[in-house]
Order: sequence, then structure tokens, then C-alpha cells
Amino acid sequence: MASPKGALFTALVAIICIIAGLGGGWFIAWNQARGEVEALRAQVAELSKRLAAVEAKPPEVAPAEKIKAAWIYVGPVEDYGWTYGHDRGRRYVAEVFKDWLETYAVPKVSGAECLQVIDKLVAEGYKVIFATSFDFMDATYKAAEKYPDVIFFHCSGYLRRQNMGTYFAEFYQLYYLNGLIAGALTKTGHIGYVAAHPTPEVIRHINAFALGVKEVNPEAKVYVLWIHAWYDPTKARELAETLINKYSCDVLAFTEDTPTVVEVCQEYYEKGRPVYAFAHYSPMLKYGPDVCVSGQLVHWEVIYADILMKIKLGIYTNTNLENVDYWWMLREGAVELGCDYGVPINPKFIPVLKNIIVEKEIMLPNGTVVKNPSVYDLVFIRLAQMMEESPTFDPFTGPIYDQQGNLRVPPGERLGHDALWTMDWFVDNVVGEIPKGGGA
Amino acid sequence: MKWIKIRLERVYEAPIWLQIFVAIFSLAVALMIAAFIFLAHGIDPVSAYAKIFHDSFLTEHGIEFSIVKLIPLLLCSLGLIVAFKANVWNIGAEGQLLMGSVAATWIALYGMKGYPSWLIIPSMYLLGFLAGALWAFIPAILKAKFEVNEIIATLMMNYIAMKIVEFLIYGPWRGATTWRYPITDEFPIEARLPLIPGTSIHWPTLLISLALVPLVYLLLKETKIGYEINVYGLNPEAARYAGINKTKVLAFVMIISGGLAGLAGVGEVAGIHHRLRYPWTISCGYGYTAIITAWLARLNPLVLLPVTFFFGGLLVGGDVIRIDLQLPISVVYLFNGLILLSLVSSELILRYRIKVTLVGGAGR
Repeated sequence: MASPKGALFTALVAIICIIAGLGGGWFIAWNQARGEVEALRAQVAELSKRLAAVEAKPPEVAPAEKIKAAWIYVGPVEDYGWTYGHDRGRRYVAEVFKDWLETYAVPKVSGAECLQVIDKLVAEGYKVIFATSFDFMDATYKAAEKYPDVIFFHCSGYLRRQNMGTYFAEFYQLYYLNGLIAGALTKTGHIGYVAAHPTPEVIRHINAFALGVKEVNPEAKVYVLWIHAWYDPTKARELAETLINKYSCDVLAFTEDTPTVVEVCQEYYEKGRPVYAFAHYSPMLKYGPDVCVSGQLVHWEVIYADILMKIKLGIYTNTNLENVDYWWMLREGAVELGCDYGVPINPKFIPVLKNIIVEKEIMLPNGTVVKNPSVYDLVFIRLAQMMEESPTFDPFTGPIYDQQGNLRVPPGERLGHDALWTMDWFVDNVVGEIPKGGGA
Repeated sequence: MKWIKIRLERVYEAPIWLQIFVAIFSLAVALMIAAFIFLAHGIDPVSAYAKIFHDSFLTEHGIEFSIVKLIPLLLCSLGLIVAFKANVWNIGAEGQLLMGSVAATWIALYGMKGYPSWLIIPSMYLLGFLAGALWAFIPAILKAKFEVNEIIATLMMNYIAMKIVEFLIYGPWRGATTWRYPITDEFPIEARLPLIPGTSIHWPTLLISLALVPLVYLLLKETKIGYEINVYGLNPEAARYAGINKTKVLAFVMIISGGLAGLAGVGEVAGIHHRLRYPWTISCGYGYTAIITAWLARLNPLVLLPVTFFFGGLLVGGDVIRIDLQLPISVVYLFNGLILLSLVSSELILRYRIKVTLVGGAGR
């Protein structure tokens, strides 16, 4: 700066930064050294405590009291997607376990607010906390360290601790089944996918869907466009219309937290141009009675009931959760095939699907061989196979090639949990790119 | 015939007692209106207010998080005050903050990996300041050289900054240990700001922001460039005749403004999140809230300190409403909105005086 005082000011700012930084650095070093001493001290204290415990009498059993459980949501309860599904699960357990369970939900919490919200909840006496957004992972972990007596469960993350477990209801089996139907229904051979964020979860769902398409219709392609948001009905509508008009797609699947894509398809149907769609997370038949064929529905309550029951029975405590990771699918009943609860396939489409034959032979586990089943039968055969105690079918069974023609899964092999969790490639009948950057 | 004539007269400097009185009065009005909302939900407003006030400002948890939120608000507002004094409308603190976090992340994960903390932490602040300053410097130059409206330019730069953060977390900086989730790896322990033990307050950033309060005050009151800023802000034409270099003033205020927001960004990632993540989770709208706090403080750095603390408390008070009182989040929005609205409207009382005069009429 030209003026000396301006320069002086800039210099002062710099000096303050440096002093604060040096102070901070010194503090960390000092803290680390102190930390080691503290650790030793804690060890000694722990050992003497154990010694005392051996000598003391066993503790008396506390009288049964209500368990207070709180849910933290990222969105509004009315989103009819992700948060709605979790709240439906909460209301279910609140009703079923009302004798011993008290629940409360805090909606619209951002990742930055999560820790202070947990502080408040713990102060209010909540002993079990469900954090239902990936963005809450770090804050939940910090809170779990801070409150070792409280049990935490984080949905969709990977950090675990002795008092923090993780859970997720996984949809890929259903996306595969939807893919079978989509491949049968398409006339143009072009199927669209309106996708949210390019995360491994969404990529895995697109791939499962495309593998289903391929099984009944090897020529068909799946065209993918990205919204770059979990919730953006405007952009979802725009991309759905682009897929219909520019890519001549006549079946659409999607990952977005509203029924928008189903609504768009219903509008096109009423204009005399049928485009079919699948429900996502919540029943969407009523938004597209003529176009919503099937879909994937979630039953978080199955997972919540299991977790809370095990906490009540003392199976889960604040010291044994470091390996508790729910990755629940069809077999456990955490997810359901359907455009509405109890409606796996919209009755309007059953005759059509029964008329389309898939040329292949399927060996059932009991030894019977089904020859050239209809698509309708194929869907239910696969559904039954994937619901078995140890599923006799999985969509991600080799040989599977990626878009570049590389063999990703050797013949006969199945992809495991870790490979599915980190998936960053598309199967060969997907058209579209996985963006390297997030910007739209 | 006599007429009563009522008119509003501009007042330039209201006395300090009136300012304080009006602030308290407008708060009281807001609380009275909000009382109806609480009554409608069957909650006694007096005890609700007592609880909100007590939990936000008198409990350890409340003070802790009020201060956590004060840090970025204070830094951003201090910078904005410098810009607003020059009548330069920097709406871009949000993006400047994000660029500061990007710079800090680069140092922590790439640039100075393996260095000791006493080198890393000062470098994070310096580079964070520079990154924020650079982000503000671009609109400053555009305005100085091409008369590009800085409101639009700084606002648009916010979106670009958000997209840069998204690009980095989805692309080149996506963590190796994060299961392909769009977040970076965690900062090494050396690159994390120390906390006041038992709290979430990263004290080096707090120290910087507190030290800057008197500095910015002196800068504007006592220095030549401060004087130039004031003159330019009041009348750019007069400033030109007085030989004040427009480009210099613009560049200076935007560099300070952006730089301080950049420091806030360093604090947020190195002190709280320990990684780069979704941009909104880092910036939380602090850059926009800081515009409000700067104006509520009437662009006075000394008044700003209590104002930002109060605002931090307001943000924490929302948790009381939705967790302790179990009211829907819309009540939080209404409550905060009412307080803001009445504080802003009280400007009218301070800036204008109602003058009632009897006018001797000559008849009509």
C-alpha cells in the first residue's frame, strides 16, 4: 500500500496471524506431550478402578425406565423422500414401543449445526441418537467421543466407535428388478436416468438398473444426466424432459427426493406420449397412476425396531458398537419392490409384462428349471432368489464389463460390500460420464 | 388558519443514549409480537424467553457456541465495514470465506504436509488471507477499470467459489480414506487449530478477530487511507478532486474485506471441520449474515463486537426453541426474522426526527 499507515496495518495483520499461529502450534505440541502423561494416568486410574470393582459387590439393577431416542434430520419431514422415510420409521417405533420408548425429531439441521444440536439433546436426557445424513458423520463421531454414555447411530457413513454404529437400507437389488421391467417396456431402446450426486451409492444404483435392462434387452442403452443435488425438483423436471425429447427415452428411473420425474411422465402420458417411471423411496403411484410401473420403497422402521429392541435388551451397549454396521436389503425386509406398499407391480402393466418372454433358462435352488419365463415371472423369480437366507442371485455377478470394455467382474464372481461401496465406474450399456468435478 | 405539519427530518448522528434506547425498545417490540406465536403453541412466553436467554448467554453450552459463531461473523463483518465505509458493496464475503478454506485445505493436505504445526498454522492464515483477498480483488479491479457493478460481481463470485469447492471435493481432492464420499481426507493433527479445552472454540482465530476490532477502528479513524476511504464513501466525485486514487481505495478495501473473510474460512476448516466438505456446511451463510451485523453495528467496529455476540446467541437460541420447547423450525425462523425486522426498522427512528410544527396559514 502506498500510505505508510496502510502498510503498517497490513504488517500488523500479518504479525497477529503469525503470533496466533505460533501460539497455536506451540499449544498443540504441549498438548500432545501432556496427552501422553494423561493417558498413562488414565491407565493407572482404570486399573485401580477394576481392582476396586473386583472387591466391591455387584451393582444393583436399575429400575426400568423409558429410553429417550432422538432423530436428527437434514431435510424437512414433508420432502416425501429421504427425511419422510426416516420419520415414518420413527413414528412406527414410537407407536410399537410406546411403553418404553420416547422419541423426538429435529428436522432441517445442517452439518455445521449438528454438534450443537446433539449437545442440547444429550442435555435433555436423550440416550440414543440417530443422525440421518452423511453430512453429520464428523459431528456425530465427535459427539460420540464427547458423550461415551450415549449410543449413536449414523446413517450412510463409515465411521464407527464403541458407542457409534452405522446403518443403511440398500436399494441396488430393486434397481436391478426395475431394470428388468424397463428393458422390457422400452420401444425406442433408450432408457433415461435422472441422477442426483455422483456418489458411489448413486453409481451403484445406475449400474444395477443397467444390468437389469441388459438381461432382458441387450441392445438397450441407459442415458444418464446429473442434477448435482439431492433435492431439486426444477432441475429434475428439466433433465427428465431433456431425456424424453432429446434422447427419445420412453422409460425413466431417477434418484431425487421428490416425485417430480413421475409427474413429468404422467403429463407426457396424458399428452398421448407414454413414458414410464419408477417410484423412489416413497410410494409414488398416486403421482403417476398410468405411468408408475414399480419402484423401490424403504422400511427404515425395520432397522430402527431392530436397533432399539437390541438396546432395550442390553445386546447393544455403549461399548460394543464398533463393528455394528447394518447393510440391510430385501432379505431383512428393509426395502420393498413396488410403486406403493404391497403393490410390487402396477396392475395396469401385469398383462403386458406377462406377454414379454425372456429367452433364457433359470435353475431354481430346488432344482427345477424355468425355461423362457415372462418378464413378470422373471422379476418374481429374481425377487425370491434375493430374499433367500443366503441369496442365490446377485445382480453384480460376473462377467461385467465397464464402458471402456475392461472386464470388471470375472465370470462367476460376485462383487463384495467394499467394491460396491466405492464404485466409480459405469457398466457397458450406460451412456454418460461420471463427472470428476461436482459443478453443474 | 393554522395547519399542523408533520414531516420527517433527516438526522445525521443520533445521540448514543437514543441509539441504545431504540435498540432495546425495538427488541422489546419484537419479543411482544413473538409472544403471540408462543401463546398460540400453548407456551408461556415469559418463561420461554427466560429459557432462551439463559441457555444462549448464561450456560457454558450457549456461550461456547455463541462464540463459535461469533468468530466468522466478526471477521467477515469487520472486513465488510471497511468496504461499506467506502460505499463499496461487497456481497461476496461468503465466497471469500470459502476461498480461505480452500487455501487452508491445500496447505494442510498438500502444500505443507509433514511440516510442524508452528509453520503450518501461520501459513494457513496468511495464505487464507491472500486467497480471500484475491477473490475480492478481482471484482475490485473490474469496478475500478471497467465500472462493473461490484454487487453483481461479488455475488457471482460466491457461486464460482462454491463450485470450485464442489469441484475439488468431487474431483482431485476427494479423500483417499473416505470411501469415495465427496469430502477430503482429514487434516493431519499438526494442521488443526487448538481449541480451548473442553469446547469447540478455536482460540487462535478468536484472538485474531478480537485483536482486529481496535485495529480496524483505528484504521478507519486515524490513518490517511482510512480518511480517504471515508471521503470516497461519502462522495467519490469530491474524492477525485481531492486527488484520492480511486483504484487504490477500491483495491485496498476489497483486499482487507476479502482477506478477513478468508481468515474466517481458515478458522472454519482448520478449527471445526478439519476437512473440506459441502460448501454450505462450511460457510453456513456467515458471509451474508455478516452484512446484516455490519449494518446493525452502524459500521462501527467497536459496536460490532456485542452485535455479533448477540447474533451468535440468536443462532444458538434457535436450538432452545426447537429442542427444549419442541416447537417447529418455522418458529425459529419467525422469531429471528421478527427480531431482525424490528431492529432494521428502528433505523427510521434514528435517522429521522418527526417534526410537528404549527404553520400560520394565509388561508386557502
